[in-house]
Amino acid sequence: MNPALQALLVIVIGVGGCITYFYASNIFLDKVLFPAKGPNAGRNTNRANMVRPWLFLFPAMALLCLYLAYPVFATAWLSLFNKNHEFVGLGNYSRMFAEPKFIESLQNNIVWLIVVPAASTAFGLLAAQLTDRIKWGNFAKSLIFMPMAISFVGASVIFKLIYDSRDAALNQIGLINAVWLKFDGGVGSFLMLRLVPFVLIGCLLLAIAWAGWSVLRPLVQAQGSGGQGGGALVKLGRAAGALVAAFLVYQLGIWLYGIATNPLPFGTPQVWLQKPYWNNFFLMAVLVWIQTGFAMVILSAALRGVPEDTIEAATIDGANPFQIFFKIKVPQIMGTIVVVWTTITITVLKVFDIVLAMTNGQWQTQVLANYMYDKLFRALDWGMGSASAMIIMLLVTPILIWNVVNARKEMR
Amino acid sequence: MKTKLLVSAAALALVAGAATAQDLKFPVGEGAFNWDSFKAFDEANNLEGQTMTLFGPWRGEDQVLVESMLAYFTAATGVTVSYSSSEGYEQQLIIDAQAGSPPDVAVLPQPGLIAELAKGGFITPLPAETTTWLSENYGAGPSWAALGTYPGPDGTPALYAFPYKADVKSLVWYSPDNFADAGYAVPTTMEELMALTDKIVADGGTPWCIGLGSGGATGWPATDWVEDMMLRTQAPEVYDKWVSHAIPFNSPEVVAAIDAFGTFAKNDAYVAGGVAAVASTDFRDSPKGLFTSPPQCYMHKQASFIPSFFPEGTVLGTDADFFYFPAYAEKDLGQPVLGAGTLAFIMKDTPASQAFLEFLKTPIAHEVWMAQTGFVTPFKAVNTELYGSAALKKQGEILANATTFRFDGSDLMPGAVGAGSFWTGMVDFVGGKSAQEAADAIEASWPK
Amino acid sequence: MDGIAGKKSGLVWAVHLSTLALVILWVVPTLGLLVSSFRTGDQIVGSGWWKALGTQVQQLPAVRVSGEEVQKEGVFVIEGQLFATGTDISAWGTSSKEPEAFEAGTTTEIEGGATLTVAADGTFSLTSPSSMADLRMPRVFATASTPPEFTLNNYRNVISSPLAGQSIGQAFLNTLTVAIPATIIPILVAAFAAYALAWMDFPGRALLVAFVVGLLVVPLQLALIPLLQFHNWIGIGKGYLGIWMAHTGFGLPLAIYLLRNYMVGLPRDIIENARVDGATDFQIFTKIILPLSFPALASFAIFQFLWTWNDLLVALVFLGTGNDQQVLTGNIVNLMGSRGGDWEILSASAFVSIAVPLAVFFSMQRFLVRGLLAGSVK
Repeated sequence: MNPALQALLVIVIGVGGCITYFYASNIFLDKVLFPAKGPNAGRNTNRANMVRPWLFLFPAMALLCLYLAYPVFATAWLSLFNKNHEFVGLGNYSRMFAEPKFIESLQNNIVWLIVVPAASTAFGLLAAQLTDRIKWGNFAKSLIFMPMAISFVGASVIFKLIYDSRDAALNQIGLINAVWLKFDGGVGSFLMLRLVPFVLIGCLLLAIAWAGWSVLRPLVQAQGSGGQGGGALVKLGRAAGALVAAFLVYQLGIWLYGIATNPLPFGTPQVWLQKPYWNNFFLMAVLVWIQTGFAMVILSAALRGVPEDTIEAATIDGANPFQIFFKIKVPQIMGTIVVVWTTITITVLKVFDIVLAMTNGQWQTQVLANYMYDKLFRALDWGMGSASAMIIMLLVTPILIWNVVNARKEMR
Repeated sequence: MKTKLLVSAAALALVAGAATAQDLKFPVGEGAFNWDSFKAFDEANNLEGQTMTLFGPWRGEDQVLVESMLAYFTAATGVTVSYSSSEGYEQQLIIDAQAGSPPDVAVLPQPGLIAELAKGGFITPLPAETTTWLSENYGAGPSWAALGTYPGPDGTPALYAFPYKADVKSLVWYSPDNFADAGYAVPTTMEELMALTDKIVADGGTPWCIGLGSGGATGWPATDWVEDMMLRTQAPEVYDKWVSHAIPFNSPEVVAAIDAFGTFAKNDAYVAGGVAAVASTDFRDSPKGLFTSPPQCYMHKQASFIPSFFPEGTVLGTDADFFYFPAYAEKDLGQPVLGAGTLAFIMKDTPASQAFLEFLKTPIAHEVWMAQTGFVTPFKAVNTELYGSAALKKQGEILANATTFRFDGSDLMPGAVGAGSFWTGMVDFVGGKSAQEAADAIEASWPK
Repeated sequence: MDGIAGKKSGLVWAVHLSTLALVILWVVPTLGLLVSSFRTGDQIVGSGWWKALGTQVQQLPAVRVSGEEVQKEGVFVIEGQLFATGTDISAWGTSSKEPEAFEAGTTTEIEGGATLTVAADGTFSLTSPSSMADLRMPRVFATASTPPEFTLNNYRNVISSPLAGQSIGQAFLNTLTVAIPATIIPILVAAFAAYALAWMDFPGRALLVAFVVGLLVVPLQLALIPLLQFHNWIGIGKGYLGIWMAHTGFGLPLAIYLLRNYMVGLPRDIIENARVDGATDFQIFTKIILPLSFPALASFAIFQFLWTWNDLLVALVFLGTGNDQQVLTGNIVNLMGSRGGDWEILSASAFVSIAVPLAVFFSMQRFLVRGLLAGSVK
């Protein structure tokens, strides 16, 4: 049979089948199994309501268990064996933690996990808000969305054309180096390479410091006034948030110092991807560039769900647009921001093709997912590969807890 | 009903007839091909109606070439072959083998990986007489046979893979015009090559273009350099020991070979763009420096595939040519040649896959491809006049005249080294680490 | 009053300008790809794409003089055109060491007593007192300004894809065949599950949410072998059925997660009123929840479609690699040959394959509308 016809048939059968399943099983439950009439009507209704969620969940859960949960257990099991299929217990894990490359990827991943979700969500929110009410908003959105639609094959060329470096005597084909070579150390260079970045990063630093403080404040004040600080988990979360903010402020402080004092090698093309520490940020930029479109689409839908009357009320009260945005809109879409943040965090944990195609983890850019790929398909060591996969899955735990807490809150 | 059947049968016959007429690149019986071998094979095999899946590394233009060869197999046996390939074919093959849906026959360029598959019991061993056949019919035959021999699941070694198609790696590419303009002669010994390198520097030029960039595989071109230097500074037996880890990676012989590569690559005056450019230049862009004006460099060492990355319109022989990467005259090691190649092996034992491996033993299976482009073979029975170009013929001669032929060591080493730490180690070496440090790091990563 | 209006228009301008800045920042990389897709491979690695838009002064590739020898007034002459019309030569030379030795129009003596003149428009004349039949023809190096030059060949190569048995049309169809069911089915399955997780009360609900979030992070590479093994075992092997199931399975966690989050934010009183009115859960779901969740359904559909459209790995493993099963991404990477690196083919094919996802985005964007919930209070 022609695959296209088959596809059509599958759509019909699949969709029809799903609907029939849900419809028929509900009918069966209500009419045959626990009919809401007769002597046991009340009990039957209760029973039916206990079973019904599982009817709704069954197809999804069956597929999830088969396609994702089962491989996880297989992986956990495999991670206990070495390359020659001998049981080694936690041997793979201890070997892994002894590898400098693994420690390096763990460190890099932590930076990725902070920077990429934060930057993508921030840019996505900015784009969603900016394009919300202007005429060409939809057009602008499509353009920002475009990187999501470009297959990764294309993205690797795109960034070659951005980061490529040539001998100074040749034509540069990398955009950044071409721009870089325009700077000669004069007034323009001071303005563009020192003053503007200093101010921008300074603002960012202040913003993060403020955010960190506002996260921490209830904790400090709660201690002062005694009580009213929320559960222990919330306290812990606040402390962790403040710690992350403090770390970022410290890092940005170092940057600021560097921007002010570092001598700049004008006139020599730079090999951006081979500068340890910084190259991580060049790789992250690629993912931020791609993921912003995702954040924008989801957040834009959420912003549009914010009830108009709350905004109107605030406008009448004389709130300025910034207040409306931060005090009215952002709190209302906080749930969606959590979702976007979570999804991007998970993408970050899984991303390996960017690193694989651009540096393959050399020059201190290794990340866990690429480390895992390396172990699985290059070294053919399924034990080590599975062990690193387990670590990747463990890293998601904080996010998991955050989501459970959030879900509990929503259900109350 | 009957008429319908007849019509479709006729249509089928028509399609089949058209297919054979169109798909055969060279008409049977014409030209200096070994048609007798084809006819003999044709008569001995009739597997009409059977099918065979073949999975290999060749994509794009190479796929057209391999399919032109497969057409003859189909014409002779009636087996319908479906060839496929993909990006990341190694990974694909591992997944398919482990999941239990392998192709009938697979072709891979990495003996190291095939050895792993053989150990896992995924490959059917070839009949014992094939080993003898290879030794007798291939130039440097025993070393080719050894290339396809691995320990099986129970540890007993057997011939698992059949070498088909070779690449010559010990080649230096240059522009004859640029050499003529500057008055340089093609060096025939390593000493002359070093002298020429210094002369070019003295004349104000840059002798070499070296680029190690290859995305996720960055560093591999350097492994070829080190292997070639290894063959030129040490006896082939030492090379074998190095590859099989009988001597450690950081033994003095290997460190010396890495340093010998360093004399070229770690000298700012020797390489275009300076040492910093070596690791960052893409290996596909690197040869283009030969053709700029004024030339960015005069020489580029790379395997026989590289002309596909020369600027459009470059004519091999006139605008670009190559010479053998020479050996030291003072070291009595003959003319060692580093090469690579692909090996075919059976993953599902069917009459068609057996027949296909037999077909690869016929000269015609080699001649059809070599008469086109990008194919060199150590098979002695082929008519070398058929090589599609003078360049190919010269490469075939280099292969035939080799006193020592050795396979690309990084493809023989375990994947963790040959497709991992060896690459990264070389990038670190070029980036500033000493040869000893780089070798130590690679040794540490060798799987125990 | 005026003051407020002034402030407002200032703010509007700021919004427009910041949007523009953001858009430019996001579009520039893609623009580079777009321009490159109209250039030849040599051009792409020869000069920056931003230079392709204007006239550039550059070193042209060397050209060997060739042509018919004519005897004129006792001397032998070869004349002709060396470079494409439109080039404006400023300097030229006959040696790779001195490619800018002469100005345009000057005459120089080369070996064998012959003289060579190259004019600014690229015409040359080689004159010699004796026949030049045995002379090794000189190469001409020229520095010239060339007008912008673009080619459609990359697109032609990608679309007509002359390689053995592969056709981009078939690949296109295959990809659609994979992507459409693999987008619709997970949405439906996930929507029911998401509703249950958002609005139905049962023990273990929060745990199940955590379970779904946890499964989001499972690296695909690990699931490939066990699942292909499973497909082989139940007898569906490699094929469309397998890949639809695989994409559905892999897409479900995100679908459930996104949809649940959206549904949980729907106004509670609507649902409770419906319950009081005696509607069953099934009715609430189909009559109220589904229509209200359209923006979330549409946005997930966009992402799932993109993911299946651009996927290569899952397609290779679960569908196969043969010419008949090849998907668009597979076709494109194969076009680039065994060693890759054909940047021009890559860039053209990126734009060929982006067309459909963008169309999907545009058509789905209509559903991401305001007002579905306007006026409702959370």
